[in-house]
Amino acid sequence: MENKIEFLKIIPLRGPNIWTYRPVLEAWVDIGDLEDSPSNTLPGFYERLSSWLPALIEHRCGIGERGGFLRRVREGTWPGHILEHVTLELQNLAGMQSGFGKARSTSARSVYKVVVRSRHEEVSRACLYAARDLVMAAIEDRPFDIPATVARLRDLADSLCLGPSTACIVDAASDRRIPSIRLTEGNLVQLGYGARSRRIWTAETDQTSAIAESISSDKNLTKNLLQACGVPVPEGRLVDSPEDAWEAAGEIGVPVVVKPRDGNHGRGVSTELMTRAEVEAAYKLALDEGSDVIVERFVRGNEHRLLVVGGRLAAAARGESASVVGDGRSTILELIDTQINTDPRRGTTEDYPLNLVLVDEDPAVRLEITRQGFTPEAIPPLGAEVMIQRNGNVAFDVTDLVHPDVAATVCLAARIVGLDIAGIDLVAEDISRPLDEQQGAIVEVNAGPGLLMHLKPASGEPRPIGQAIVDSLFAEGENGRIPIVGITGTNGTNLVARLVAHLLHLSGKRVGLACSDGLYHNQRRVEKGNRATWAAARKVLLNRVTEAAVFENGSDMILSEGLAYDRCQVGVVTDIDPARHLGRYYIETPDQVFNVLRTQVDVVLTDGVAVLNGNDPMVAGMAPLCDGEVIFFGADPDVPAITDHLAQGKRAVLVRDGFVALATGTEEARLVEVSGIMLASAGAAGLQIENVLAAAGAAWALGLPLELIRAGIETFRD
Amino acid sequence: MEVSRIRALRGPSLWSRRTAIEAIVTCNECLIGDMPDFEARLRARFPEIGSLKPAGHEESISMAHALEFAALGLQVQAGCPVTFSRTAATTEAEVFQVVVEYSEERVGRLAFELAQTLCRAAVNDTPFDLADALARLRELDEDERLGPSTGAIVQAAVTRGIPFRRMTSGSMVQFGWGSRQRRIQAAETDHTSAISEAIAQDKELTKMLLDAAGVPIPQGRPVSDAEDAWVAACEIGGPVVIKPQDGNQGKGVAVNIETYERVLAAYAASAEVSSEIMVERYIPGYDFRLLVVGNHLVAAARRDPPQVIGDGVHTVRELVEQVNSDPLRGEGHATSLTKIHFDDIALATLAKQGHAADSVPTKGARVMLRNNANLSTGGSATDVTDDVHPELAARAVAAAQMIGLDICGVDVVCDSVHRSLEEQGGAVIEVNAAPGLRMHLAPSFGKGRAVGEAIIASMFAEGENGRIPVVAVSGTNGKTTTVRLISHLLGEKGLRVGMTNSDGVYIQGRRIDTGDCSGPKSARTVLLHPDVDAAVLETARGGVLREGLAFDRCNVAVVTNIGMGDHLGLSYISTVEDLAVVKRVIVENVAPGGVAVLNAADPIVAKMADACPGSVIFFTSDPHHPVMATHHARGLRVVYVNEGSIVAAEGGFEHRIALAQIPLTRNGAIGFQVDNAMAAIAACWALGVDWEIIHAGLASFVSDAATVPGRFNLFDYRGATLIADYGHNPDAIQSLVKAVEHMPAKRRVVVISGAGDRRNEDIRQQTQILGEAFDTVILYQDQCQRGRADGEVLALLQQGLEKATRATAIEEIRGEFLAIDTALARLEPGDLCLILIDEVDAALAHIAKRVAEG
Repeated sequence: MENKIEFLKIIPLRGPNIWTYRPVLEAWVDIGDLEDSPSNTLPGFYERLSSWLPALIEHRCGIGERGGFLRRVREGTWPGHILEHVTLELQNLAGMQSGFGKARSTSARSVYKVVVRSRHEEVSRACLYAARDLVMAAIEDRPFDIPATVARLRDLADSLCLGPSTACIVDAASDRRIPSIRLTEGNLVQLGYGARSRRIWTAETDQTSAIAESISSDKNLTKNLLQACGVPVPEGRLVDSPEDAWEAAGEIGVPVVVKPRDGNHGRGVSTELMTRAEVEAAYKLALDEGSDVIVERFVRGNEHRLLVVGGRLAAAARGESASVVGDGRSTILELIDTQINTDPRRGTTEDYPLNLVLVDEDPAVRLEITRQGFTPEAIPPLGAEVMIQRNGNVAFDVTDLVHPDVAATVCLAARIVGLDIAGIDLVAEDISRPLDEQQGAIVEVNAGPGLLMHLKPASGEPRPIGQAIVDSLFAEGENGRIPIVGITGTNGTNLVARLVAHLLHLSGKRVGLACSDGLYHNQRRVEKGNRATWAAARKVLLNRVTEAAVFENGSDMILSEGLAYDRCQVGVVTDIDPARHLGRYYIETPDQVFNVLRTQVDVVLTDGVAVLNGNDPMVAGMAPLCDGEVIFFGADPDVPAITDHLAQGKRAVLVRDGFVALATGTEEARLVEVSGIMLASAGAAGLQIENVLAAAGAAWALGLPLELIRAGIETFRD
Repeated sequence: MEVSRIRALRGPSLWSRRTAIEAIVTCNECLIGDMPDFEARLRARFPEIGSLKPAGHEESISMAHALEFAALGLQVQAGCPVTFSRTAATTEAEVFQVVVEYSEERVGRLAFELAQTLCRAAVNDTPFDLADALARLRELDEDERLGPSTGAIVQAAVTRGIPFRRMTSGSMVQFGWGSRQRRIQAAETDHTSAISEAIAQDKELTKMLLDAAGVPIPQGRPVSDAEDAWVAACEIGGPVVIKPQDGNQGKGVAVNIETYERVLAAYAASAEVSSEIMVERYIPGYDFRLLVVGNHLVAAARRDPPQVIGDGVHTVRELVEQVNSDPLRGEGHATSLTKIHFDDIALATLAKQGHAADSVPTKGARVMLRNNANLSTGGSATDVTDDVHPELAARAVAAAQMIGLDICGVDVVCDSVHRSLEEQGGAVIEVNAAPGLRMHLAPSFGKGRAVGEAIIASMFAEGENGRIPVVAVSGTNGKTTTVRLISHLLGEKGLRVGMTNSDGVYIQGRRIDTGDCSGPKSARTVLLHPDVDAAVLETARGGVLREGLAFDRCNVAVVTNIGMGDHLGLSYISTVEDLAVVKRVIVENVAPGGVAVLNAADPIVAKMADACPGSVIFFTSDPHHPVMATHHARGLRVVYVNEGSIVAAEGGFEHRIALAQIPLTRNGAIGFQVDNAMAAIAACWALGVDWEIIHAGLASFVSDAATVPGRFNLFDYRGATLIADYGHNPDAIQSLVKAVEHMPAKRRVVVISGAGDRRNEDIRQQTQILGEAFDTVILYQDQCQRGRADGEVLALLQQGLEKATRATAIEEIRGEFLAIDTALARLEPGDLCLILIDEVDAALAHIAKRVAEG
């Protein structure tokens, strides 16, 4: 007997699918002879699994209470199910929180579909493989290095998932029901679809001006512009030699700051310099970081970072100095490690709000220590305070303290430079008082500022920066969506898709259409062949000219790729012939076919419409699944589904007295005479007239005027 | 010959609207006619200097004139577009003002220096290296002036009447003013998205997005190593291109690669330039560059790689030298063509064609020196704009929109632009942010395209010029109050007003700079500020003389009065007529549709009407003043006082504002405030401000020490009336005397000092006037002696009082505060005391303190 867990197939479902609205990884797993060894028959398995992954206790599983899953393991469950939970747990441990999973048996013996929510395909795949190895090790009572595995998965997730700043913007968008599409492996994300979409790249938006960025990276130019508009800045000038630096210090008056003109992140910046030796040493330090060096007035006080988003102050953080106190025995290096780096908020990764102080990697710290007459190896006397970092991490939230004048001034500074999102570095003793009272000054304006200090402050409230950025991109009530019509069913989907696209085109919209005979942008076929695919639909949603989109979605596509969009305005189901769908993807019953095609109805927005065939009982049965309105269509208006619907005052498209009619309750508006429809007279007439009804229903659902729908149907040539 | 002072006039000045160098030149032996051979020696050294005087004039000219023509001529010969120069005699013998236009300030200064060297060389008969001088000027000019792309955009803006200002020594330029300003940096605008630029830099991402938008691209992918490059080449099938993913200017690019060996070699070459290498389908055809601005294709050029044609005689090296000797080919981006680089890449390209540097191609053979067609490595450009197929143009526009660039250079490879890309298997191979415009402005072949105009049109809608309303106010007295009142009225209209005056710079009422801010630097601050919808600028004499105006033209120029003038004697301004010429500069630079608001009662001001390119509104109290009456009779606009109201009249139209509704005038009792109100009303009328707003603004304008410090600030002190004012010239004092004469008083006391930078007679005149109107005069010496010896000003003030008819008590005090305290100590209820303050803020604070103490 061979124990094995084999992956027959792993299908990334990148959009809404038969399992859930979100992207998942679907694995077809063959557990071979383990089919005969449920977990309760494997000695020690429960103990090993529960001790290796103690957090499995939180998995409720089907039982719906804490410890539910482990109870199932103790009572006996199969490796497919266990694999699902272990994969989810590994994803959690890797920092990719996910709760959704499923394991279902198929008609084939020992073959299961294991499904897990996937925030990133590659990470989920790695977690799935690691979970298999872990489960096998637990089954076979072999050791398994959990910490090493988790560390590897965490690194993978950190390198592949969106950075925290971008993620917070995407999450805020998602809270406003704005869809997002990641455009690169980096942090470039499209928010919204087609013509309504916007782009962000960490803390830059598509409105962030390239010229503004080049201004902000030129400190001298920035300072001149700010100064010209009355914004307080530390006076100073460019210098070209150590001697010149000292001369400039003489003109300005000590103490001074020396820094590189184009530097970043405070590198090469030295502050509160008093002596010629200090100024000249600082000049050399600054020169190493950039081509030009600036000497300017030292502004007394704390460093602050104020974040301006869309003309408003969104957050403010204060920097705090770090120092050590001598104990008469330890060196400064040792004191840093025992008095500063032991702070639990300090660490080397983005998860920590404060950085470790590493003398070897931070010349400014070394300079600071040297300035006070010490070396890092020196032992300061008992009780002596040694300054280590003048402005360490700017991570202490002070948003609520900012004086309104200060807020107005930093917003003006952002406006002068021309940035929609700007991180303003400001030095002041007290941020709650106006700057001119305390000779505070703006020292720098940064494009693409880091957001972490506001999201994970060392003290104080995290600030809703993501929300502020999203609000600056999308006016209230806007969600970046364009009208999307999704069409599925067994027959006629192509014709309906093309007719709906035609009607939308007539309404003046630039329409993207991905269907089984090609990809069309604004009536132009740009790709031939079957483009009722996820990839083609995705192109339509990326295209910035797309004002409305129509997608044909076959059942194979739903099963193998998922839908390309998260939600739609209109979902159309033409008909269902279960026999035509059986036999693939372990879809073997009419119920399963229903479950595949209902996906299209599930994603209809609450203010959207499902357009359903009232003459097809199976399709009509989807009506209760729709979050929005339902419009039935049917050549035969006298079926209970339609008559009941109309009796409730709802809408239907039907044929009466030889006319296509739009019915609302008892009112009916004649649209077009059936005999006059060119395509209806062409071939298999019965079916085609239903397609026309479906398309008319979709157009009606989109609010197109009756005259236009009529004209469109009359002019459409198949 | 001695040059004692050089100034750069950076805006319209009393000489000209052009930018110019102004120098004071003193020459002892002034007439060159007296210097035998000078002119001949000068001409020998600089033959192109041109005629020094008009035909038919025999009188000798001065050395200053020679210097003028030399400085202008040198710039002209160096290729600078300058034409204006002038030399004017001053009141001092042998001292001249020489004014020479410049197009670049540093070039102008250098030309002036070189012109002096030239003249001295001619005097001393020493050599002058003209070629070297011109080379230096040309080189400096090329460094200083805007590059061709930026230059074309700026030129287009100037043609549209849009003001511009360089923000850096590079290619960053501000167009327009205040809240209407826009910026460019070469062919980028302030709307060019940084993210879009980053996308354009990422060729793989660009391709993915273009493909999504249905724009044809060469299929392909990034590869990890040389073997992978071969795998990718096999996937694509057929010839491929191998190139760095983030490269520019064609470095490390190999095209039309088919065999395994060549793929490996090309990969190695690319890998030297970048670590990220792409393999793509090779698209045969020509290189085209399509320029998209906004949603339009505005220019297209075919770009050909550098090549030479064999003549069967010369080597490749010689043929390249021949081509490079074309004066159209320069080293950098300034000329329409760049020299062919004869470097390792050229040699490698030659080797592929079976040539070496010294081989002699047969007659008619085409020899390529590079595979890519970039202008910067010697390629040429042929304009094909008119030939582009509309479908091809549509694809270029779609590419620009998809990437999100408002100005975009789309690189296309195809056989011909006459057909669509789809038809011929062509593709968009790259999208460029901040594209070079040189190939479209001055193509090597075909006609240049108006791309600068297209860019400006995309930034400024038709009819817009980026300007905000600008009101300039000049005159001897009343400027500051007038400026404040106009600002207040415009603010009432809802505009965010930027204001400069002799107290500071104010943005929406907030003072952002202090001190005398009536010069061009402060005016530029206002025009630069992003929150300013309208500018009201006090424009003092000093700044106009020193630097010219900060603006090329204004909508309204107000001249309050010239009167007897102040500051006479400074900068060769010795008469009120001279002063009028300086103050008239704002009138001369009224925009064609603009208005000059002029005091009809002041004959010198009234005469400025002739110099105004726009229309004129005259104001003065007396409607029957001949200037007013005539203007009114002609159906033109006038503002005057009638039956207790200020009246604005034009033909049959009349609008009245009761003086009682203008608190500033104290029911019309303070004459000079009535004048200021009339000037402000006229200015707002000129700008089309609603009368209701003008009424409301006049009613709500408060003129106290807080809002208008130093302008007739009234206080009550122990029952006596105190008036503090910054009046510091005979006219101001005359007006003050007139105003206080209407106010009842038992005894009249005045406290005065004199600023040192006035003419002796002006200082004396101040006390002459006061001596007729006040019983007690307290003289003090102020902080600001401005070059005078200690006690000198006090003596002048005393002289003015020698024949005083009314003043009986005269006292001298050192120190302003002490003088004020001395006066206050003497006051009894019912007395009136005028204090002419000097240190405005400090003195007002001191007075307020005393008043508070009671």
